[in-house]
Amino acid sequence: MSIITRSIKNADREARYLSLGELNAIADFYQGGQDRLRLAQILVANEAEIINRGSQRFWSRYPNTPSNTGNPTFRASCMRDQSWYLRLITYAIALGDTEPIEKTGIKGVKEMYESLEIPLKNLAECMRCLKEVTTEMLSLEDAAAIAPYFDYIIQGFKQ
Amino acid sequence: MQDLITSTINTFDVRAQYPDSDAMNKLEEYFRSGDLRAKASLAISANAKSIITKAVAKSLMYTDITAPGGNMYTCRRYAACIRDLEYFLRYATYAMLAGDPSILEERILNGLRETYNSLGVPIGGTIRAVQAMKEVTADLVGTDAGKEMGVYFDYICSGLS
Repeated sequence: MSIITRSIKNADREARYLSLGELNAIADFYQGGQDRLRLAQILVANEAEIINRGSQRFWSRYPNTPSNTGNPTFRASCMRDQSWYLRLITYAIALGDTEPIEKTGIKGVKEMYESLEIPLKNLAECMRCLKEVTTEMLSLEDAAAIAPYFDYIIQGFKQ
Repeated sequence: MQDLITSTINTFDVRAQYPDSDAMNKLEEYFRSGDLRAKASLAISANAKSIITKAVAKSLMYTDITAPGGNMYTCRRYAACIRDLEYFLRYATYAMLAGDPSILEERILNGLRETYNSLGVPIGGTIRAVQAMKEVTADLVGTDAGKEMGVYFDYICSGLS
């Protein structure tokens, strides 16, 4: 939920207009919007490379993971899932909140991957690799802005 | 409710896609107009009472509606009418900040026409009052913000008719 929606919901609960303080916070959020979109677009533009490098790093650390057994379907699914999580991160960046990750990518993740017989700790490591290759690509400031979203996913896999 | 960001994400997540350039342009424009939106919200909240007064004076006062036998006759009904207009104004302002009309649907329009019909509240008069609010608000907040508010006032009107 963005700060805009959250502030509106709070004000609505009390049947009032947004306060000056809330509007100032929202105005800051609007102002940061361009920058958040720029950051999201960097990820979009570099998606293929991030996932390629992330996968290589992951397989070098966890050579015995299902996606590295030579099964092309497993391999493709692993890379597809990485691109999905990367996409969710761009959503979260644009929104300034982890809600899209939580809603689409974390709720039920344990049950799903367990039923697919993929160890969660491998996935967590895979996401850590994605995070590393992404942050290596970015400036220090951008990396710091993006890292918490990866951490949120990694934590979500440890539930 | 959702804001423009959430509604964009929801649209593209079900297709597993990144927002297209059209959606990105809309988002950028939304963020760019943020200052305008925040300022308009502040101006409206400071002048809400006077917006309603002026809008009622413009659209309903001295018509059949306020005369004996009309639906705004008796103080109780008059009060109910301006209370509803206050709701419309507040929710239109929320929607303008969010850049999305979903909160109007959830909080205002859902079942409103049926309620008004059963209470005998004239839809035509209500729409006239909302349109008057649109004009008064635009005078207050200026053309650009007024146009944006107008989108949500019109949304209420089309939901009623």
